[in-house]
Amino acid sequence: MAFKLPHSASEETKNNEAQLVALYEEYFDKIARYVYVHIGDRSESEDIASEVFLKALKSIKTYRDTGSPMQAWLFKIAHNLVVDHLRKVSRIKTVPIDTVEIVDKQDPVEAVERKMEMEKVGAAMVELTEEQREVLRLRFFGGLTSREAADVLQKSDGAVREMQRAALEKLRQILGENKP
Amino acid sequence: MADEFDLILDKCIDRINHGENLEKCLADYPAYADRLEPMLKAVTKTKAAYAFVPSDDAKRTARQKLYSALERRRYPSFWQRIAQPRLAWVSAISIIVLLVVSLVVLRPILWQETSEIPDLPIINIPSADADGNFIFMVSDDVNAIDEFNTVNVTIEKVWLLKTGEPEQWVEFTPSTQTFDLAQLPGDTTQALWQGNVPLGEYSRVVIEVSSVTGTLISTEQTIEIKLPSDKLQVKIPFVVSADSVTSFTYDLTVVKTGNTQDGGKYLLKPQAGESGASQVPLNKPESPNEGKGQGEPKK
Repeated sequence: MAFKLPHSASEETKNNEAQLVALYEEYFDKIARYVYVHIGDRSESEDIASEVFLKALKSIKTYRDTGSPMQAWLFKIAHNLVVDHLRKVSRIKTVPIDTVEIVDKQDPVEAVERKMEMEKVGAAMVELTEEQREVLRLRFFGGLTSREAADVLQKSDGAVREMQRAALEKLRQILGENKP
Repeated sequence: MADEFDLILDKCIDRINHGENLEKCLADYPAYADRLEPMLKAVTKTKAAYAFVPSDDAKRTARQKLYSALERRRYPSFWQRIAQPRLAWVSAISIIVLLVVSLVVLRPILWQETSEIPDLPIINIPSADADGNFIFMVSDDVNAIDEFNTVNVTIEKVWLLKTGEPEQWVEFTPSTQTFDLAQLPGDTTQALWQGNVPLGEYSRVVIEVSSVTGTLISTEQTIEIKLPSDKLQVKIPFVVSADSVTSFTYDLTVVKTGNTQDGGKYLLKPQAGESGASQVPLNKPESPNEGKGQGEPKK
């Protein structure tokens, strides 16, 4: 009697593993950036991004290709890890602007300007609803399409696009971009 | 209208995400450019504010972790495979079957010196005979025996299991019942009995040991040496034929169990591997009395 190996038996699982490895190259940076916008710590963001892929691999059998792309699934995992992390460190869910690291080493003036810009954008983001912020994180930093973001948020594409537009209207006003 | 604008804004954000600059998108949608421009600038400003590229080291480490985890999944260790729920039952059943088979196969070997003695008819050989066809000898195998000055063993009875239909025991009392095992190291043997036993094939030799005492070299203390059973047996086939004298050497040894300083003990055990029979043709019989006692070469 031949026993199937628990992990290599299913072709689907094999394919999903291969897909996950392929997505690593494209999405590691994006997931790390998405996490960074949440927690404001570069090193922790890198660790959590790494953890996302390990966790995904561990749970690969639970992933079913039901039209929802794997990258959306990865961002759901990332979101859960961020929530766990924030719970652990008892931080608020917005970026702690005062503690955002500045790594531009070449020009202190540029670094200060960059920090001021971050503070301004961070303050503007705080004015948005949590859902709007999450749409922008997924779209701008996670690089997901509105369809993929809709999968993560379990909303319709139209609802995501609408939230995106409303969030940008508000950001534009706060950031003082020219009105049309 | 709002939906159409939302779609165009969405497409422009996708293009910016893919590295295009916002001017190209504005040029493609001139009718919406005025409304799009400040919103797309807010997009680029927000993205720039949180621009962060993970370090190469972090990416390399994460990649290695992922590939290692993948490797472990594809080639799980033996114990991981055993622990899989689907294999756990199979493993448990296999282990039980293996244990049962081991017990059945190995029991006669592992426990032969103490296993049950079949209850069969007994033929008693009442007296010894210096010209008999069978010589019963003893010897010792080196183990803990060199820790003793003397090891006095007393054998009450000897039984030989004669095969055939029906099986029966051949019983005799050794002429020399007590002997010093410490004086029989290595190939040295001592004959305890010679007599006539029924011709035929035998499969087992059982001795009844009534006492074993030893004097330790280190302390000169006399101690009792334990027995796993009062009847010790070896299962070794041999033949007693009309044209030869069969000498059977029963090898015994003393082994140390545990730490004798902390209540450990010495044990007398038969050595099936060292025991056995040899035959000398009757026209050149080996007299049991020649060199009887110590100094006989082993089989």
